[in-house]
Amino acid sequence: MALASTPLSPASRLGQIEHADTLALRNSRLAPGDPITVRVARSDGVAKQARFQQFSVPYQKWMRVLDALNWIAEHEATDLAYRWFCGSKMCGSCAVRMNGREVLACWEAVEPDMTIEPLRNLPLVRDLVVDRSPYEKKIASFEPWLERDAVYRGFPEPLSHREMKNASKALDCISCMCCYSACPVVRLGDLTDFAGPAPLVQLGQTALDPRNDQNKVARMLAQSGIFNCVSCYKCEEVCPAAIPIVTHVIEPLKAKAAALVPGMARHAHALRAIVAMRGRVDPGALVLRVQGLGAFKNLPRILRLLVRGKIAPLKTLLMRKTAATAAARRILNRVRP
Amino acid sequence: MQRLKADVAIIGGGAAGCYAALSLRKQGIKPLIICKGLVGKSGASLFAGNLVISGKLLGNTDEQARDTAEFLIKYHNQFLIDQRWARRCGEWIERVYYPELEEAGLYFRRDDKGNVVTSPGKIRSVAANVQGNSGVPFMDLRRKQIIHAGIPRLEETIATALLRNADGEIGGVFCLNLMTGEHIIVEARAVVLATGYSDRLHARSTGTREMSADGIAMAWRAGATLVNMEMQWWHTNDIAHPPSWQRMQVYPNPMLGSEKSARMVNSNGEEFFNQQRDDPLAFGPYTVQLKALAKQVHAGKARYDGGYYAGFDHCDPAEVERYTTYGKTYRQLGLDFPKTLVETAVTSHYRQGGIDVDTATMRSSVPGLYVAGGVGGHSNGLIGLATYDGKVVADGIVQDFSRLKPSPPNSIEAQAEGRRLENLRNASGGGSAPAAVKDKLRKLMWDKVGVEKDAAGMNAALDEILQIRSELPEMRIANKTRIANYEWLDAIDVINMIDACELIVHSSLERKESRGPFFRKDFPETDNTQWLAANILKKSGNGFKFEARPYELPFFEPGFTKKNNLEVAW
Repeated sequence: MALASTPLSPASRLGQIEHADTLALRNSRLAPGDPITVRVARSDGVAKQARFQQFSVPYQKWMRVLDALNWIAEHEATDLAYRWFCGSKMCGSCAVRMNGREVLACWEAVEPDMTIEPLRNLPLVRDLVVDRSPYEKKIASFEPWLERDAVYRGFPEPLSHREMKNASKALDCISCMCCYSACPVVRLGDLTDFAGPAPLVQLGQTALDPRNDQNKVARMLAQSGIFNCVSCYKCEEVCPAAIPIVTHVIEPLKAKAAALVPGMARHAHALRAIVAMRGRVDPGALVLRVQGLGAFKNLPRILRLLVRGKIAPLKTLLMRKTAATAAARRILNRVRP
Repeated sequence: MQRLKADVAIIGGGAAGCYAALSLRKQGIKPLIICKGLVGKSGASLFAGNLVISGKLLGNTDEQARDTAEFLIKYHNQFLIDQRWARRCGEWIERVYYPELEEAGLYFRRDDKGNVVTSPGKIRSVAANVQGNSGVPFMDLRRKQIIHAGIPRLEETIATALLRNADGEIGGVFCLNLMTGEHIIVEARAVVLATGYSDRLHARSTGTREMSADGIAMAWRAGATLVNMEMQWWHTNDIAHPPSWQRMQVYPNPMLGSEKSARMVNSNGEEFFNQQRDDPLAFGPYTVQLKALAKQVHAGKARYDGGYYAGFDHCDPAEVERYTTYGKTYRQLGLDFPKTLVETAVTSHYRQGGIDVDTATMRSSVPGLYVAGGVGGHSNGLIGLATYDGKVVADGIVQDFSRLKPSPPNSIEAQAEGRRLENLRNASGGGSAPAAVKDKLRKLMWDKVGVEKDAAGMNAALDEILQIRSELPEMRIANKTRIANYEWLDAIDVINMIDACELIVHSSLERKESRGPFFRKDFPETDNTQWLAANILKKSGNGFKFEARPYELPFFEPGFTKKNNLEVAW
């Protein structure tokens, strides 16, 4: 039980501790029979007010979170509601939050002390079971099937892995919704029209497939809200299928959206142009370019920004370059928009 | 109570059920899918690791095409298969299945130059996206095709009984929505059972949580004839720990883009199975492996529940991980991959037997009841075969459609089923929770009806089943909620499981030989004089009777009469 006895560390050392907490360590921290403390969020499906019920579960070799839940359902709380089908990281139905982190219950090693909660950002049914339908509706709205703009030429058709590289990564998605629960932008609810990481991965399966009709891809990207993604990488961090969601799916989709639906990417295009011209980010110029004269509607905000030195109208007007301009252009030219 | 109507009710959302629905829809018939889990996400279809190349696709030679057929008939079915059906199926897979899947968008893994990557050897295969995970994009595609076609789905909804119409034919399904607890009656002109063949009836089982032999039990209650229920397949190298990973397989099949595949060693570290050396023809060498393991167990160098190891320590990590998912399991356990082998154990896998069908139409012996995929008793294994059944059943129903009249199901039967379910939800006896009864049943099947069995053990098993049956009315459900009540589900499941287990034990007693993965200690020989035959189980009054129906052998023959099963290659 090495980690359990580690005292709380300053935030600056957290990364190091996680880094040292290897999979080998996690799988060997406990010996068979050691008690694990598991607190499970229970709710009755009517009031949906969760309470925590605590269990002590004997560790079994290489125990997964799902094994702990199964043990509880067999021995202590026979009425515990949790969804699972395959137990081998294929169906993606058993995702929960363990100690605040989204995990696939069948894939994740148990911790000596665990709090298990249902996924966030989805309606709760009972205990650990969430209603998948909002997520399913979002995916269906993307019409996630191939629409070819050329006639299929027979098996095997001309296609290379080079062309399919990003789509192939997206095809590893098991729709477990871990990323959907972890995403801070999805958490904002109706404040944005962001589809969320998992639906974008599902969209990427066909949108990043070169066989798909680009007009259809454009239509679907237009309703994705993709530029609301703040690239925080929370989705990648929790993905049990290890899909590089930001790097290989969302970023390529953003690039596609910028090319196919330029209006969507006004902010990104403006930012790029400003950095290329001035060698720095100029918030004043950015707001002007994106919002136009509408930016002047909120005068108190402009004043606040002025007082805090966040905007410098004179420099913006004169389009003053910084010493970094040449370097910024060189770097940006390396990456085509 | 909800009442729904469809032309055809399909029970099961795996490869067979989905393809049946899509084929019917294309022919103007309105299907409805009832799925205990989620369409395309539950059941065994997800587990398709790779897809076998049929016929002369992708440059297969005549010899390779023939090897594939021979492998299916010998190694997958031990000659207990309609060989003419197998030939029709192979031709369809070659001509229709692959092009249709690719046209719909399935990504058959390519290399950077654009060649489809295959496993080399006498029988070749391809992968959808990545080997070891082919079923995931395959079934995800099906799920999306079903959505695209606008086919209604009742998901997380359990079919609990087949209902008869006024003519006495099967014309509806009684269902329970697991999320809301609502009863649903689906009226249909025909019902297709497509509930799969990987039921969770043993302590170690590859079947998913929801697979509890519901199809078998419902069909039997409706009077359907069953066949070869004793023919149980086993995985030989599934990961031994933890229990939830009992289905996590160290795939023994040849790897894409490599000459190698996993090897197995006994408790002394001696290699006892390497597919390339020990069985180059058995592309899916499960039974060959099992026989090799049995010899180790007899020599005290392994157990069926562990004590032997499998892995890729003879391979480069890049060689394994370029096109497969195999390394991930080891890495998730923090094992040094590929240097470290992992402890493995036997797991009950597919049941070859099931409901007896007319393989030209997929009709069962009960009018109005059709069958597709693994729950049928006509073949075993492979997602392509299950898909072909979906096509055949759709064609069979189209052929019969004018005869199948819409007629509301018998309301007395429906009311009785509704009462049965409510009584189960309110079960307040002084006995065990349903999950504990399931557990007991699975342990008993593992101990007495496991890999190696004999009459004495199986008769003892029947006594124990009788005992468990007598305890069923005493089951106790802790929470009477209608919402996501998995305990209620367990109570419904366990009644199906106990019926199926009993039929399996009787069928196993009836087949007095050993064949392929079916090991009888008291009858160790494969007996082609008596048992190259279907073991038919028919309902008769309140009991049952057996008949033996010999198989025709138009293309391949075993070539011997009697031989010790452990010495037979397949």
